[in-house]
Amino acid sequence: MLTIIAWRNLWRNRTRSLIITTSVALGMWAGTFIMAIYFGMGEARLRIAIDNEVSHIQVHHPGFADDKEAKYNMPMDSLDQVFQQIPAIKAYSLRSVTTGMLATTSGSQGIQVNGVDPAAEQATRGMKDFVQEGDYLDPEKRNRVLVSTKLAQKLKLDIGNKIVLTLLDTANNITAGAFRICGLYHTNNAPLDELNVFVRKSDLDHLIGTAGRAHEAAILLHRDDDLDSVFQKLKQALPQYRIERWQEISPETALVLSSLDTYSLVFIFIILLALSFGIINTMLMAVLERTREIGMLMAVGMNKLKVFGMVVWETIMLAVVGAPVGLLAAWLTTLWLGHTGINLGPVMGESLRDFGYAPVIYPILPWHNVLQTMQLVLITAVVAAIFPALKALRLKPVEAIRT
Amino acid sequence: MQTVIDAHNISKVYNPDTIPVHAVNNVHLHLNRGEFTALVGPSGSGKTTLLNIIGGLDAPSEGQVVINGVDISNLKPNQLIDFRLHNIGFVFQAFNLIPVLTASENVEFIMLLQKKPKAERNKRVQELLASVGLSDKLDARPNQLSGGQQQRVAVARALASRPQFILADEPTANLDSHSAATLLDIMEKMNREEDVTFLFSTHDQRVIDRARRVITLVDGRIESDSAETQIKH
Repeated sequence: MLTIIAWRNLWRNRTRSLIITTSVALGMWAGTFIMAIYFGMGEARLRIAIDNEVSHIQVHHPGFADDKEAKYNMPMDSLDQVFQQIPAIKAYSLRSVTTGMLATTSGSQGIQVNGVDPAAEQATRGMKDFVQEGDYLDPEKRNRVLVSTKLAQKLKLDIGNKIVLTLLDTANNITAGAFRICGLYHTNNAPLDELNVFVRKSDLDHLIGTAGRAHEAAILLHRDDDLDSVFQKLKQALPQYRIERWQEISPETALVLSSLDTYSLVFIFIILLALSFGIINTMLMAVLERTREIGMLMAVGMNKLKVFGMVVWETIMLAVVGAPVGLLAAWLTTLWLGHTGINLGPVMGESLRDFGYAPVIYPILPWHNVLQTMQLVLITAVVAAIFPALKALRLKPVEAIRT
Repeated sequence: MQTVIDAHNISKVYNPDTIPVHAVNNVHLHLNRGEFTALVGPSGSGKTTLLNIIGGLDAPSEGQVVINGVDISNLKPNQLIDFRLHNIGFVFQAFNLIPVLTASENVEFIMLLQKKPKAERNKRVQELLASVGLSDKLDARPNQLSGGQQQRVAVARALASRPQFILADEPTANLDSHSAATLLDIMEKMNREEDVTFLFSTHDQRVIDRARRVITLVDGRIESDSAETQIKH
């Protein structure tokens, strides 16, 4: 009966109840949808980090991580042997990596040179897909280089131009080679684009003397869930090398992801705090308007616990009617925009790329967050009910009936 | 005769520290089971205050109220609420039904608080609303009923808990003559057939005429009590 009374009381003042439930619904929709955008950005950042930047796992010579000298390298055949025995590995790329100077007729810049096997690099991080102009590295053509559009713009380079890469070999001797630009690439990580050029591994090995050896092995897995098991297998198989997961290689990505839950909770908390004042106001008015009725209920034998329960129940209903509507609207919006994407490219595409985010965001709404939000709504309703309920409890039947 | 209400030396003083107002002054009242009593007197004579004290809604400044052998001034607030639920029925001047419940739900509500089983509740609701002539208004909300009908629902509600007695504060004050007469018929019938004790506060001569005992209060004191007059005569 308390539930019936609470429900019917809710609709005694339809306009007021509709306003507050609409506020709850809108607040929930806005909060949850923004949370979905955050999660979408986080997921996109994770995919970019794993699929296009650092892969799931990387293997390096222990000295290479501290001091990127050419002499810190690993034999490719032993790496091949280990990787090919792990079925969870989807693809891997063995790279020669060194830092040096890129010189052109119009200027020069410090650069990281990545010597890659074009096919393996495409399989591991889809490098070919980022080529905006010109061609990807041709396995048959010598001394071709892929530079980013951003670097090309900065150094006034174009396809077909020649550049000179000055590097240190394994014996720390200066060596240099001339390369012709075959293509311009453009990934979703502008800062990395500006610092990296790609050449064939054999061309770089020829210059720095690392034939048959690699500085870096980037490993892409079939499934994210296999990360820890493959990591453990590699640690056992290659104890002499440094094995790192994406979280260690790209700690900023891990930090962004781990703080997403906190951000969303803070966001939802602010929305609920604002809503709770609306709920308190509505319920306080409802209690004060019904002073005589509540006094009568206490007079005829309704104890304080039941009066308290009635007000709390009514408040929960007030919040719970609006919240699922808002959450459903957020879910539908996320479903739609999660399919089409929100293209922020024209407005802030470059800014997003500067932080390593794709300009098109696909919102994601994890179920556990929806349930968590619903729980928070319930808690907010109960907390918001306390003040009006206490107000009701303080009524003295004899005075309340007289009003 | 079984004593239902025994009020000794009841006084109620409002604003005792500033300008004291003696609403009830040293009242002794004794009611037996089955009485049909009117508490009369001019406005401000203390009728409602005395009724509230007897009903446990207000505490006396002095004195003691014993209902069916229980001194209600010793009960804790929640015990008092529970005592009222099981022993006292209330009929208020302004009807005071729960507006969001139907007539039958209003009557059933009291029995729900008493945790009576559903079958018993349903049976009693039907019986009570039939006895007050509202069998056809079971599903009507208070705003769909006339004042007289609402007050009849209030009487049915007051009876639902099978109380020791019913306190009715000006029950006919807001009713037209016909509705007031119907209500009084019903209350008299309940009193006669079910031996329910009634104590009214009223100005209404129609109620006074029907009462078998009339207690007159003036300035918070009992000026006359027809029961004593009859004994003296």
